[in-house]
Amino acid sequence: MVGGLAAAALALLVFTDAGLAQQGQRIVKGEVYQPGIWVDPDGCEHWVMDDGAEGYMTPHVTRQGIPVCRTANLCGTVNTDQYFATDSARLGHSARQNLANFFASTGAVSYTIVGHTDSRASDEYNMDLSLRRANAVASVARSTGARIADVRGMGERAPKASNNTAAGMAANRRVEILCWR
Amino acid sequence: MTKLKLIAAIPVACLLSACAVGPDKSRDTGLFDRKSLSQLQAGIWVDPNGCDHWIIDDGLEGYLSQRLDKYGKPVCSGSAPPTVATGDFKGGSPLFDPV
Repeated sequence: MVGGLAAAALALLVFTDAGLAQQGQRIVKGEVYQPGIWVDPDGCEHWVMDDGAEGYMTPHVTRQGIPVCRTANLCGTVNTDQYFATDSARLGHSARQNLANFFASTGAVSYTIVGHTDSRASDEYNMDLSLRRANAVASVARSTGARIADVRGMGERAPKASNNTAAGMAANRRVEILCWR
Repeated sequence: MTKLKLIAAIPVACLLSACAVGPDKSRDTGLFDRKSLSQLQAGIWVDPNGCDHWIIDDGLEGYLSQRLDKYGKPVCSGSAPPTVATGDFKGGSPLFDPV
């Protein structure tokens, strides 16, 4: 009991930068709360702490706000070179059929559809094209009775490969389908 | 276990363990269900805006954390109506929880 209370009075020395450390240390009164990690069913990490009768949890995200995940919760990627003509957001008959089969056989609770492009053309143009392509995929999903959680276009802002090579650019031209169970 | 007995048990758990958790908060050190917190069982609670949160009732502790997609946006899957909790989120602890 007494040992536990003593831990609460632990004070930490914090050096914020070299300049401040030279002027003097800043004393922070606090208590160490070392978290564990819980991995959610999607595969993403959360900070978790058990303080006796209380429990605390918050998502583990990078400083950019991107969740830290052990598995990519991505159940489908549409290669837009195969499904769309250059600069077009129109799906042909066989492309619609393939997508309809995908949504019918996957049977998730709902889907998030996210369009992406490579880095050619302007950012504004790519944001618009990627959203139109994502909407084309989402409309096929809706026609099969699937529920759509969200449709987004990210343009060239979230590349999954380098835009410095032809293969990298091809990989970036895609529509991602996230499946929620 | 009756409600009365459980209420009586809480201060005992506190005396023997819960009031003396060290800096490492990554384990449940309670009397009834000692384990690493990585083993928690979650359900989904849907907030009033329709977006999902992981919910865990682990006996004495409760946890709630946002469900995010790979880009960091909220997941609003529509798996249940707003304000409803679903799934086996009370199944992770042998401790009977009357509330």
